[in-house]
Amino acid sequence: MRVSLVWSSPSPERTIAVAMRRCFSTKTIEEIESELEQKGPDYWKYLLTKALQDKSLDVLEHYTLTLLLEEAHDPDVGRIARGFPYLRVTRLGHDVWLLSLNARTLVEIWRSTEEKGFAEQVVSELNAKGVGSLFNEVAFGVRANAG
Amino acid sequence: MRVKLLYNTDIGSVRRVLTNNGVAFDADVLLDHVVYMFEIEDCSRVTTHQLIRHRVVSYDQESQRFSAATREGVVTPPSVSSNEVAYKAYDEALKSVYSAYEKMVAAGVPKEDARYILPSAIKTKLVMTLSARSLMHMIWQRTALQAQWEIRELATTLHGLAKEATPELWTKILER
Repeated sequence: MRVSLVWSSPSPERTIAVAMRRCFSTKTIEEIESELEQKGPDYWKYLLTKALQDKSLDVLEHYTLTLLLEEAHDPDVGRIARGFPYLRVTRLGHDVWLLSLNARTLVEIWRSTEEKGFAEQVVSELNAKGVGSLFNEVAFGVRANAG
Repeated sequence: MRVKLLYNTDIGSVRRVLTNNGVAFDADVLLDHVVYMFEIEDCSRVTTHQLIRHRVVSYDQESQRFSAATREGVVTPPSVSSNEVAYKAYDEALKSVYSAYEKMVAAGVPKEDARYILPSAIKTKLVMTLSARSLMHMIWQRTALQAQWEIRELATTLHGLAKEATPELWTKILER
């Protein structure tokens, strides 16, 4: 199976941080966004680490991805779709699928025994495209330039 | 109430993939793969109770466990504000409730426990992320005349923002 990124939420770590701060802040969204810009990626990383430690995975659901799967056979796609109901798949052609999911589901796939290989492919593709490198490091322990 | 679209899927990216695979533009396909993230401020918890009945959606809402409630932060329905007798009763009840809340917090009751007394009229803030399909369902259900005024206002605003951001998708949906 070949996995390629079609689209992802802009600035995934910041998007997750917005959702997290929304829970605990009375500020307006503009104030939250400005605060997050000011504090920068180290703070987003702190919030993300805390969300993962506290198992507050709901905030990860705001980071969404759309992927193209090629040479993806029905049994493989079917197994992933049945195992993780919150992802959406559409067949585009023989062995070609469009798949959308959020980062919480990606983490759950990564943690599963059977489908971890698929999640690894997705994370590798994200790092290759320079998407969510901070997220990939914190959530999966995979660095963008690990080689 | 204030609603802001924080991001949405770039339809162009998905469309290119469809084209490259010889698939014609199909709103039905895109409904599952186009996603919107909204932020909603200053709607009542009455409305968010209704909103979260739409289940295939990701919500994160301002927590009353951590933020203090204020007397100013309530929604007053027009049927109450336009009725002198009703408004007086509403206002008196709110004063009494907030006075009790403040006394409890001052007496050391945690906010998460003191909040049990707070009214459903209290204003709240939340972010929500959902697919175009979920949004379409929400809009169909909540812009109906039977829907309550506040969630109808919210659904109408969500529709306007989604249509502005991704007009080709929503035009196709409305044409069906």
